[in-house]
Amino acid sequence: MLKQNKNLKPAALAAALALLTGSLAGCGGESISSSSSAETTSASSSESSSQSSEFKAGDQFYATEPLKLTMLYNDNPSYPISDNWIIWSEIAKKTNVTLDLVVVPLSDFEQKRSLLISSGEAPQLMPKTYAGSEVQFIPSGVILPVSDYVDKMPNYMQKVEQWNMKNDLKQIMQKDGKYYLLSGLHEKPNANYSYLVREDIVKELGMQDPNTYDDLYTLLKAMKTKYPDVYPLSDRYSGKNMLGIVASAFGVCAGWGKGDYKVFNWDTEKFEYAPTSQNYKDFLTYMNKLVKEGLLDPESFTQTDDQAIGKFSNGKSFVISTNTTHAQEMLKTMESTLGQGNFELTQIVPPIGPAGNYISGSRLENGIMINSSVAKDPRCDEIFHFVDWLWYSDEGQTFCKWGIENVTYKTVNGTKQLMDDVTFNGINPTGTKDLRKDFGFSNGTFTYGGSQELKYSLMNDREKAFQQAVFEKREVKNVDPPVLMDEDQREQANMIVTPLTDYVDQMTLEFILGTKSLEKDWDTFVSECKAKGCDDYINMCNQVYEETKDILNK
Amino acid sequence: MKLSKGYRIFQVFNLLFMLIIIAIMLYPFWYLVAQSFSSQKYIYMGEVSILPKGFNVQTYKAVMSERQFWIGYKNTLIYTALGTFINVAMTAMFAYPLSKKRLIGQKFWIKFAVFTMYFSGGLIPNYLLVNSLHMKNTIWAIVIPGAISTFNLMIMKNSFEAIPQELEEAASIDGMNTYGIFFKIIIPLSVPIIATMILFYAVGNWNSWFSAMLYLDEKKLQPVSLYLRGLIAGATQTSDSVTMSSDAQAQIASNIKSTTMVLTVLPIICVYPFLQKYFVSGIMIGAVKG
Amino acid sequence: MANSFKQIKRQNNFLIRIKKDWQLYTFLLLPVLYFIIFKYGPMVGNIIAFRKFQPGGSPFGEKWVGLKYFKMFIADSNFWRIFLNTLTLSVQTLIFTFPGPVIFALLLNELKNVAFKRVVQTISYLPHFISTVILVGLIFELTAANGPINHLISVLGGEPVKFMQDPKYFHSVYVLSRMWQTLGWGTIVYLSALTTISPDLYEAAKIDGANRWQQTLHVTLPGISSTIIVLLIMNIGSMLSVSFEQILLMYSPLTYQKADVISTYVYRIGLSQNSFSYASAIGLFESVIGLVLVTTANSISKKITDSSLW
Repeated sequence: MLKQNKNLKPAALAAALALLTGSLAGCGGESISSSSSAETTSASSSESSSQSSEFKAGDQFYATEPLKLTMLYNDNPSYPISDNWIIWSEIAKKTNVTLDLVVVPLSDFEQKRSLLISSGEAPQLMPKTYAGSEVQFIPSGVILPVSDYVDKMPNYMQKVEQWNMKNDLKQIMQKDGKYYLLSGLHEKPNANYSYLVREDIVKELGMQDPNTYDDLYTLLKAMKTKYPDVYPLSDRYSGKNMLGIVASAFGVCAGWGKGDYKVFNWDTEKFEYAPTSQNYKDFLTYMNKLVKEGLLDPESFTQTDDQAIGKFSNGKSFVISTNTTHAQEMLKTMESTLGQGNFELTQIVPPIGPAGNYISGSRLENGIMINSSVAKDPRCDEIFHFVDWLWYSDEGQTFCKWGIENVTYKTVNGTKQLMDDVTFNGINPTGTKDLRKDFGFSNGTFTYGGSQELKYSLMNDREKAFQQAVFEKREVKNVDPPVLMDEDQREQANMIVTPLTDYVDQMTLEFILGTKSLEKDWDTFVSECKAKGCDDYINMCNQVYEETKDILNK
Repeated sequence: MKLSKGYRIFQVFNLLFMLIIIAIMLYPFWYLVAQSFSSQKYIYMGEVSILPKGFNVQTYKAVMSERQFWIGYKNTLIYTALGTFINVAMTAMFAYPLSKKRLIGQKFWIKFAVFTMYFSGGLIPNYLLVNSLHMKNTIWAIVIPGAISTFNLMIMKNSFEAIPQELEEAASIDGMNTYGIFFKIIIPLSVPIIATMILFYAVGNWNSWFSAMLYLDEKKLQPVSLYLRGLIAGATQTSDSVTMSSDAQAQIASNIKSTTMVLTVLPIICVYPFLQKYFVSGIMIGAVKG
Repeated sequence: MANSFKQIKRQNNFLIRIKKDWQLYTFLLLPVLYFIIFKYGPMVGNIIAFRKFQPGGSPFGEKWVGLKYFKMFIADSNFWRIFLNTLTLSVQTLIFTFPGPVIFALLLNELKNVAFKRVVQTISYLPHFISTVILVGLIFELTAANGPINHLISVLGGEPVKFMQDPKYFHSVYVLSRMWQTLGWGTIVYLSALTTISPDLYEAAKIDGANRWQQTLHVTLPGISSTIIVLLIMNIGSMLSVSFEQILLMYSPLTYQKADVISTYVYRIGLSQNSFSYASAIGLFESVIGLVLVTTANSISKKITDSSLW
């Protein structure tokens, strides 16, 4: 009983305050239907802050009076948060906003977030939300349909416009045609994952980096001939990353990219079930060939990352899948295992498969959920302007990434460079201060997405070379449209998809490892998928897609 | 006294068995120590199992120069000290009247306490309670909600009951009031059980992480166990989608984890053998009777 | 009339007793207040098992839904898996961790060298003092692919085992770690019970020509049997409360299949999927089973051994 009072208090207080100042509904205009309050809305927004209501893309945001915002912070043990980070005071200086942080360790982030939201204690800003995890909070109305508010975010709008992201944003759209997450926006997709290859071995064999999957096969074969007792390719991530990128090259999906194993055919505008297609069989045949000829370590699918790293870093395998960060870590590990100068690494551009010269990848990154209370906040406009400036404006993004001129970086001939004693991700390896650990910049909570130029600006040469090569040589495939199901439909779909996906997962591995034969068992596999309802599911998706096309094309 | 041959053989096997037990009990700790002094290179290759390889103290230097580690350590010390004091005081305060037959409704109060051992509120109600009392992000959220463990309360009650009633009666005749009896007679006679309680509660407080995880959102308040949990769990998370940025994962080297663990258990390992005689007799009084 | 008069008299009697002994009652004030606020207070919150809870809404839920969430749990496709996991894990834990300390205590009792005995005891208590976080950290390190256990396995010519990734090893790892942690600590009670056995009994047995083994069988075991029975019954009572924190820290999506128990499922459903009413219902379900188990165990204990928790 005591509790209830306490819970009511802030809301009541805010309401009373709002009544006094006559600024109720600051920007919650949409949610309040009576005409009288609509009037106050326009009146109040014009009087409350003339400066901020004219906030335009490229403007520096500065709150009219000191503003305190509560924010969820995901504390990553690789760069533990510190109150002394210069980023906090600098944000305050630049924007007149102080962030009141709710610090949650990475390990328990999702649970804690849920607890905060459920107990009505959710902070105003909740960054580091991965698309999909916001869905559970929508029915209760605790988070804002931010798509209704993006007109207050000129920088965001500008990026969406410039980079033509309307279609991408449909990925996070809900059945009501709104979205509830302010996603990070990438100018180009995140091309992080591919293979790390022992370049010295490639040179030793007198070969070149593989450009197609056939090349990759030839290379692995040559490696095997020269070093018969190694498996040249031994993968980490339980093989899921590899399955994902190989499948995508064959025009299907598997591994990390599997989703529910459906793919969209842009020609017929229909979904298809990938595992029963000829392409999927070709993909399995290729993978199976690698295993059969001893080119791919069968343990790739079961070993732990540490085991895989152990093999690669000790010269017991020559190719491993990786992302750019792990490539950098591997380099460091191997300097201690094999010793500097005894090896050479290249992260290769994802090879081309039968599906053509494409890579797939989303241009959306994790993003920010906004507490519904913000809509009722008298300074709602300013809050959105702040978010817009810090996360989406060029200045904001540059600031979060690079820090402060002449403190963390300097400008030489128009390009930014880290100060000599500042190190970051392989740049200035001898620097004594870390851009993330000691200053708080390039921090996962604030820094993601952005223009390609900005991204390149703070990459080490190896990473930059890789990314540039990817976009030079490959084209980006369209992302499949979402299927906007309501709760009942989703539940019904899950009943089919969960067991079906389990079955396909299991059979995929058996075909690859050769415990099931592609010649003999393929037909049984296809009919079993059908028996488990794959066609029903695809029909359902197509039907929902047809029905909701209008919402999507709005 | 002549021992049979069979018994002597048994003695030898028993001795061997004990040695094996010692090895099993100690090895995990030893392994941590070995890892903490090894270089990451050999740990990756799986070459560290008994002796450190690539011996170095760099990891210790690195961990000990981590500011958050010491902040956590300091917090843990404070929470343990204050928490244990509250625990023991509250438990004794409740256990004493419960041990008295003359307490009206003694049976009821005991049931009142024991019931909570088997039935409790859920996570959310607890969270909302602490929240509404404005204890979040204060030391009180850590030390108050778990002030009395019913199990320990019962042990302490049993131990108070074992003190001869005559002593109290004599003191009472001499004109001593209940407070006087409690502080001047009961407490001095209960040193073993109090020492046991201190140890039990202190170990619990030292080790606790869950309530800190729930109630402390400010880094400067977090105990070392939370820091450790971050290190251990961070590395076991794997991303499940290609679009997830690599920032969602944290890889912490084994030697760093080991070193942090060693430094965290060290104080307890150093203290408990000296308290052994107390907790053994404390448990004896409390549990055997029960 | 007579009745009410008696009541008044009794009340007066009460008041007089309390007044005379008021200092004793002041001891109760703080602890009882604490129990009411922190132990009984949250129990009221269990009401949300019968009401629909909205995030950010009233802590007592929005509207009455009756047994909806209980029915949902019984119909949940995970119900039997979780229920069975809870049951098998707790039974296994009981079977494997309970006899250990008894046997270990008997063996310790046979050690003649007092100093050595003391050393063994001290060392065997050590695991009891480490936290769940560290225990789990240790388990991860020891069972890692390149860790010492797999090292040993490969030296012996076996294939490395993925203890923490493969669900089929989860129960064994859990039970073994519980054994490791409780073996030494559990002996304390038995060792003290052993000291209460009168030496005369052994003398008498010796005179009857009993050897050590027979003495153990006919004197020692009967001497501590009541302790064993009490502890066994108490253990059965609290059997279902498997170590929530340890499983939470140990498991991963890979091992959910075997590792999920009621309490971890409650945590996941409640916090990760945000349905607190449902989670509370499951939690309540577990509490009720636990309460039934413990009261049954307690009354059996009362009958058989004349000792009980309350």
